[in-house]
Amino acid sequence: MAATFRIVFVLALVSGFFPQVLEAAKIGDVTETRVIEQMFRFLSLKDPSVRATVIGTTLLGICCGLLGPFIVVRRLALVGDTLSHAVLPGVAMGFLWNMEKDPLAIFIGASLAGLIGACAVNLIKQTTHLKEDSALGMVLATFFAVGICMMTMIQRLPTGNKSGIDKYLFGQAAAMNQEDLILLSVVTTVVLLLVFLFYKEFLVTSFDAGFARSIGFPVNLIHYLLMLLLAFSVVVSLQAVGVVLVSAMLITPAAAAYLLTDRMHRMLILSVLFGVVAGVGGAFLSFLSNNLPTGPFMVLSATAVFLAAFFFSPRRGLIPRWWRQRSQTQRICRENILKAIYHILEAGEFEEEGVTFSELSIRRNEDLLEVRPQILDLEKADFVTVSKSENRIYFTPDGWQTACSIVRNHRLWELYLTNAVHYAADHVHDDAEKIEHVLEEETVRQLEKQLNYERRDPHGKPIPTFADIEKGLPTARQSRPATGYMSKS
Amino acid sequence: MMDSSKNDSGEECPLEIHDLTVAYHKKPVLWGIDLKIPSGNLIGIIGPNGSGKSTLIKTVMGMVPSSSGWVKIFGKSFRKNACRIGYVPQRESVDWDFPVNVLDVVLMGRYGRLGLLRRPKRDDREVAMQCLDKVKMLPFADRQIANLSGGQQQRVFLARALAQESDLYLMDEPFSGVDAATESAIIELLHELKDQGKTLLVVHHDLPTAKNYFDMLLLLNMRLVAFGPTEEVFNYDLLQKTYGGRLTILSEVADEVRRHAEADS
Amino acid sequence: MSELIPSFDFQAVFIVPWQEDFQGYFLIATMGFLISLSCGLIGNFIMLRRMALIGDAISHSVLPGLAVALFLSKSLATTAMFIGALVAGILTTVLIELIHQNSRVKPDAAIGIVFTSLFALGVILINVYAGEVHLDTECVLYGEIAFIPFEPLIDIGGREWFPGSVLRMGGVTLLVILGIVLFYKELLVTSFDPGLSVSLGISTRTTHYLLMGLLSLVIVSAFQSVGAILVIAMLILPGATASMLCSRLPAILWLTAGLCLPATLAGIHLSIWLDCSMAGAMVIASAVFFILAWLFSPRRGLLQQLIQKVRLPEVHNLTLDNSQE
Ligand SMILES: Nc1ncnc2c1ncn2[C@@H]1O[C@H](COP(=O)(O)OP(=O)(O)OP(=O)(O)O)[C@@H](O)[C@H]1O
Ligand SMILES: [Mg+2]
Repeated sequence: MAATFRIVFVLALVSGFFPQVLEAAKIGDVTETRVIEQMFRFLSLKDPSVRATVIGTTLLGICCGLLGPFIVVRRLALVGDTLSHAVLPGVAMGFLWNMEKDPLAIFIGASLAGLIGACAVNLIKQTTHLKEDSALGMVLATFFAVGICMMTMIQRLPTGNKSGIDKYLFGQAAAMNQEDLILLSVVTTVVLLLVFLFYKEFLVTSFDAGFARSIGFPVNLIHYLLMLLLAFSVVVSLQAVGVVLVSAMLITPAAAAYLLTDRMHRMLILSVLFGVVAGVGGAFLSFLSNNLPTGPFMVLSATAVFLAAFFFSPRRGLIPRWWRQRSQTQRICRENILKAIYHILEAGEFEEEGVTFSELSIRRNEDLLEVRPQILDLEKADFVTVSKSENRIYFTPDGWQTACSIVRNHRLWELYLTNAVHYAADHVHDDAEKIEHVLEEETVRQLEKQLNYERRDPHGKPIPTFADIEKGLPTARQSRPATGYMSKS
Repeated sequence: MMDSSKNDSGEECPLEIHDLTVAYHKKPVLWGIDLKIPSGNLIGIIGPNGSGKSTLIKTVMGMVPSSSGWVKIFGKSFRKNACRIGYVPQRESVDWDFPVNVLDVVLMGRYGRLGLLRRPKRDDREVAMQCLDKVKMLPFADRQIANLSGGQQQRVFLARALAQESDLYLMDEPFSGVDAATESAIIELLHELKDQGKTLLVVHHDLPTAKNYFDMLLLLNMRLVAFGPTEEVFNYDLLQKTYGGRLTILSEVADEVRRHAEADS
Repeated sequence: MSELIPSFDFQAVFIVPWQEDFQGYFLIATMGFLISLSCGLIGNFIMLRRMALIGDAISHSVLPGLAVALFLSKSLATTAMFIGALVAGILTTVLIELIHQNSRVKPDAAIGIVFTSLFALGVILINVYAGEVHLDTECVLYGEIAFIPFEPLIDIGGREWFPGSVLRMGGVTLLVILGIVLFYKELLVTSFDPGLSVSLGISTRTTHYLLMGLLSLVIVSAFQSVGAILVIAMLILPGATASMLCSRLPAILWLTAGLCLPATLAGIHLSIWLDCSMAGAMVIASAVFFILAWLFSPRRGLLQQLIQKVRLPEVHNLTLDNSQE
C-alpha cells in the first residue's frame, strides 16, 4: 500500500502550485558552501547583498524590538500573530493594484488589512460574549483564509509578474531590494519617533487603561496607534521572516528583556538589542550554508536569547535561582549543625568546651559517616575548628555567634508565638525551626522589646541575648583558653 | 488523648484543623490555625480584609496547598470526603457568559454524587428544582445566568450548594451585594439547614448583624484570634484584637520569609 | 478584476461537478464535514476554557514533529508521522506550561515563543533535508483538501470505500463524540467553575490533559487537509456561530454539528466558482455564517442590540406612564 500522508506531496504537484516552494529563502547566490569562507564573506560585509541583508535585519530588530514590550506587558502577545496573518489579503490586494510586486502598494494594502483585522478583533470583543482569545483566533484564521484564496486566484492569472509574492509566507531576507530597505527604514524611523514622543502615553495605557482614561488620555486612539505601528512593522518584516514567524520577532526579544529588568525603558532598550542580535545572528547563520532560510534562523536566534535569559537571568533565571536555593539549603544545614553543637554544650551546662563526633551524631540522629563531611565543611567555612588529637569540635568566634543567634531566634520566636499569637505550646517548635533561619536583626530587636526582654523561652531554657553573644562562651573554666573565641575576649 | 476525630458526644467532628499554616508564594498569610468545629452550628467567620478568610476556606477545600498542618473533614482527608462539603465561592469567580442556564448550574451540585459516566436523572432534576424553589428562584430556572442580577446569582449558587446535600457548608460572603430581604431569606434558610444538623461556616463582613445571625464566631486575622459561642466571643477586647491592625511583627516576618523564599525559588 | 472573479454560472458551479466526479466531491465533502465536526465540537470546550490560541500553537508546532518523524523513519509511513506530530503537539502544551510556570512570562507570550520556535525548527529541518524527503511546508500552512480523491482507497470488506485519511478522521471524530458524551459532566464543570469541580472531587488536571490530548489528535489528523492555520478557524468559527444563537451548551453542540455540513458544502462550491483553495473557501463559508449570526442573531446580534438601543427609551416611557396611572 502506498504510504499517503496528505501533507506529503510529490514535487511535481507542488511546482504546479508555487514554483519556488522548496527552493527556500537563502541569501545571495551562494555556490561556495565552505563554512569558514562564508563566515568571512559575511563578516567582511563586502558583498552588497550581505550588506543589504544586515541593514535590513538590523532595522527589523529595532522596529520589532521597540514595539514588542508594549504588547508583551499588556498580555496582547498574540495580537502580533493575528496581525501578521490578517495582512495577507492586503498583500494580495496590493499585488492586484498593478499586477506586480510593488512594495508601496503592498505596504498600504497590508497595513490597511492589518488595521481592519485589529478593529474586527475589538468589535467582536465589545459586541459579543466571545473572549479575547477566540476573537483573535477567529480573525487570524478568517483573514488568512481570504488571503490564501486570493493568492491561489492570483496564481492562476495569466498576466502579471507573480514572482516574489509567495515570499510573504515564509520570508526571504535576501529578497529585500533597495525599495524594501527604504520602506523599512522609513517605518523604523516613524516607530522610533512615535514611541519616543508618546512613551508616557503608551506606558500608562499599557499599565492601566482605566487610569489612563480617567486622567483624560485618548485610550482608544493610543490603542489603535499602537495597532497601526504594529501593522506597519509586521508588514515590513513579512518579507524577511514570513507570516508565521513575524510574531516571534515581536514577542521573543521583548519576553527575554522582560525576564531581565523591571523598568519599561530598560526593557525597550534590551528588547531592541535582542531584536538586532536575533536579526543579524539569523542572517549570519543562514548564510553559512547553501540551503538555509533566513526567517527561521532569526526566530531561533531570538529563542536562544530568550532561553539564555530564562536560564541565566541573574534575578529570575532558573539556574541562579537553583544556585541560590542550594546555598540557602547549605546555609540552613550548617546552621542546624551549629545549633546542635550549642545544644550539646548547653546540656553540659557549658562545662565542656568542645563536643565529640559521637555526641554530635547522637544529637543529630545521624551516622558518623554523615556527620563527618558536614563538620569538615563547617571547618572549611571557618565556623568550627577540629582538634585532631582530642577528636573534638570547637566553635570559632563566628561559629559561636551564629549558633547563638540561631538558638536565640528559635527561642524568641517560640516565646512570641506562645505569648502574643497564642499558639498551643506543642505547635511552636516546628514553626520556629523554619523561622529561626529567616529572622533579620531588626525584627529580633523588635521581638525582644515586645517580649519585655524575657530571658526564658516557653520550655524554660535561657534565651541568649545580643549581649550574651558579644560576651562569649559562658564557660566555667575561664582559665583555659581553648577556643578561638576565648582568645578574642 | 481521645480519638481526635470524635468530639465529646462521640459524633464525628465536621471540620478539624490542626496547626495549619498557609503561604502564597511562600509568604505566610495564615499562621498555625487550630480549630475543632462542633457539628450542627451556624458559624460566622469574621476578620478585616485580607485577613485570610477566603484563604482558610480555600485551604479546607484543597484549592490552596497548606505549608504545614492538616485538615480533616469528618475524620478523613478532604479527598475522601469531598462530597460531604458544599462550597459557595465569592461571586466574581465564574464566567457569567458561560452557556448554561440556572437549572444547569444547580444540577452541577449533583454531579459529585453521580460519579463517572453517569448523567443526571429525573430525581436529580427534581432535587435541583426543589432547591431553586427554596431560594425562590424557580421562575428563573430557564434563564441564562448572565441575565440575572447580582443577588439572584448569589441565590443560584446557594441553591447549587443546597443541591449538593452536604453535611458541611463553606460560604464565602454569601451576603455581599444582596438586598436586605434576600439576606434575611438566606439567613432563614441557613438556620433551617442548621436545624437539620448541618454545619455551616459563613464568611461575613457586617459586625452588627453578625451578632444576631450566628451561634458561634470565628475571629481571624492571620492567626486565630478567638473561636467560641457568639455571646462569649463578641466583645470589645477580642474585636479590637481582630480589627485593631495586624500583629506587625507577624506580617514583617511573613515578608522576611517571602524575601528568603524569593532568593531561592 | 474580471479575470480574477469568474462569472457565476449556477449550472457549472452546483450541478456539473457532482455529475462529473461524484465520487471525488463526495470524498471531499465527507472529509470537510468530519474535520469541521470534530474541530467544532472540541473547539467549543477549548473556547470556554479560553484556550483557543493553544490550538493555534499546537497546529503550528506539529511541523517539526513531522519533519523529525520523516527524518527518523526515512519514509512517508503514515503511522510514524502521525506519532511524531502527536508528540510534538503534546510537547507544545508542556513547554508552554513550563515557561509560564517557571518565569514571569505570561501564558500568551509563552504560547507565541513556543510555537514560533518549533515552527522555525520545522522549517529549517525540512529545508536541510529537502533533498531527501518531499514535504511541502506551504501545505502545512493551508493544506489541500482537494487532493483527497487522489489518495488510494482502502479496501474494506471487498470494496474500496474511503482513503486512509478520511477513515482516520472518521475514527477521530467518533472518539471526540464519544469523549464528549461520556465526560460531558466533567468537561462542563471543570470549564465553568474549577472551584466547584474540586469540591465535587473531579480532577481539573486530568480533564485538562485529556482534553489537550484529544485536541492534539484532532489537529494532527485535520491539518493535513486544511493546514495549520485554517484548523484554528475550524476550531473556533462553528462554535462561535452556534453560541451566538443558543444559550445552552447542549444546544450549542447540536447546532455546531448542524452547521458543519452546510458550511462544508458552501465552501466546496465557493471554491469551485472562484477556483481557489478549497480549505480556504470552507473557512470563508464558516466565517460568513458567523458574520450572519453576529449581525442577525435574535438573542445577541448586532441588529438586535441596535433595535434595543432605539427601543429602550420607549419602553422606559411606557413603564413610567404605567406607574403614573
Ligand atoms: N492568589 C494569591 N496570591 C498571593 N497572595 C494572595 C492570593 N490570594 C490572597 N492573597 C493574600 O493573602 C491574604 C489573605 O487573602 P484572603 O483572600 O484570604 O483575604 P480575605 O480575608 O478573604 O479578604 P476579603 O475580606 O477582602 O475577602 C491577603 O493579604 C492577600 O493579599
Ligand atoms: Mg475573601
